[in-house]
Amino acid sequence: MTKANGDRRVVVTGMGVVSPIGTTVDTFWAGMRASKSGVSVLEGFPVEDLKVLIAAQIKDFDHRARLRHFQRDKIILHADRYSWFAAAAADEAVKMSGLNVPFDNPYRAACIIGSGAGGLVTFEKAYRDLFIENKRATHPLTLLRIIGSSASAHVGIEFGIRGPTFATCSACSTATHAIGLGRDYIRHGMVDVAVVGASESVINYGTMKAWQALHVLSPEGIFPFSKKRNGTVLGEGAGILVLESYEHAKARGATILCELAGYGMTSDAKDMVNPGVEGPREAMRLALEDAGLPATEIQYLNAHGTATAINDENETNAIKDLYGKHAYKLAISSTKSMHGHPLGAGGGLEAVACIKAMQENWVPPTIGLDDPDPKCDLDYVPNVGRDLSVTYTMSNSFAFGGLNTSLVFGPPPA
Amino acid sequence: MDEVATKIIEILKKHMKEPRDDISLQTALTDLKIESLDLAMIVFDIEDTFGIEIPYNANEDVEDFKTVGSVVDRVKSLMADGPAAAKA
Repeated sequence: MTKANGDRRVVVTGMGVVSPIGTTVDTFWAGMRASKSGVSVLEGFPVEDLKVLIAAQIKDFDHRARLRHFQRDKIILHADRYSWFAAAAADEAVKMSGLNVPFDNPYRAACIIGSGAGGLVTFEKAYRDLFIENKRATHPLTLLRIIGSSASAHVGIEFGIRGPTFATCSACSTATHAIGLGRDYIRHGMVDVAVVGASESVINYGTMKAWQALHVLSPEGIFPFSKKRNGTVLGEGAGILVLESYEHAKARGATILCELAGYGMTSDAKDMVNPGVEGPREAMRLALEDAGLPATEIQYLNAHGTATAINDENETNAIKDLYGKHAYKLAISSTKSMHGHPLGAGGGLEAVACIKAMQENWVPPTIGLDDPDPKCDLDYVPNVGRDLSVTYTMSNSFAFGGLNTSLVFGPPPA
Repeated sequence: MDEVATKIIEILKKHMKEPRDDISLQTALTDLKIESLDLAMIVFDIEDTFGIEIPYNANEDVEDFKTVGSVVDRVKSLMADGPAAAKA
């Protein structure tokens, strides 16, 4: 089962998610069905002089309950919160895939789990201990918690993955790059299985100060494509997929959720914060080309949609540039309106949303969209989701620095 | 068992996946399934609890950490030396 060019086809057989609107795939999706907002009052640390006092924090995640059963990774319960999210989402995804644990063919599997910032909360705690509390030492696990590859290592240890194991790091495109890389490794025959995605947990005083200083956070809420939008809202979480070659999945009788049909990546090479139309458009175009699809085949597009003034207008223009008239027929939504902006993990959560949309023929909404910006004049599925026959979906992730990624998901190969 | 020993056993139990109630001064740390990372965390906790600094390198086999009793003895001698000695 190969394409005409001889490349192997790649399918998704498992998915897992930890998010502010639900800490499993089922609850995450139920949250979207209910147009649920994950934004709430900032909690968990002294807010001191912060001006932005909201975030999309996960307040109902019990790491002990979710990870206590881990067999091979002995210190997962002592890891950073970002590794907990990754481990819980990977656990859900691997269980869904039905793969044996530890993996049967460990050197033919990859584990690529990225993070925009790794264990940043641990970092702040350690520096507070040293510089404010004058403690004589950091906690012994500080280093292992901080490193941005710890989530991939933890997951690799637990599931017995001995092939390529590392993290990607590309700000808000981190998860999408990880998913694309895993797909390429399978496609080129390096591995048969890949656990891919990203995790993020950076909400603390220092992070809030840094984002506040950049003046891109909204003090009120996250309202993508709306006239009233005035910035993004920080979120946290993890989104993980299990990818397999089609032959591998078929041979073991796995349930195939969808095909990961296309992947495109570009860089604006222009500006750290001001995106261009061309880079995002080209990432989308390459993803379509890679999938061998005309733009008219896409029914649902999960936008990057951060609710910053510039992103939403720019992304709208890039979509119009590529899709032409079909841009107005597309159902587009920014699910960040519900789960907030989980930075590097965003593409992981949004991949899960795309796959669920295909499974259930229902597209999630952009909530908080009563009064659209006239410059954002496409169909963003305002406020409530809707039934729609969905065969192909696209998911966009566009990062600071102009790092653009796009994925196309399609039906299981016939 | 004195207070130092009781506190140390409490710390050991805190770091065991399946804490046991039969830990004595003669118990070998290897019998408690304590591995190198656990030891680093246990040393950190002991140092915090008793206000001492235990010179130790995870790359070397440490005679002082063979049994629960040897840990208790080492902590007591460091406490007797006082905080000044720990800095030396």
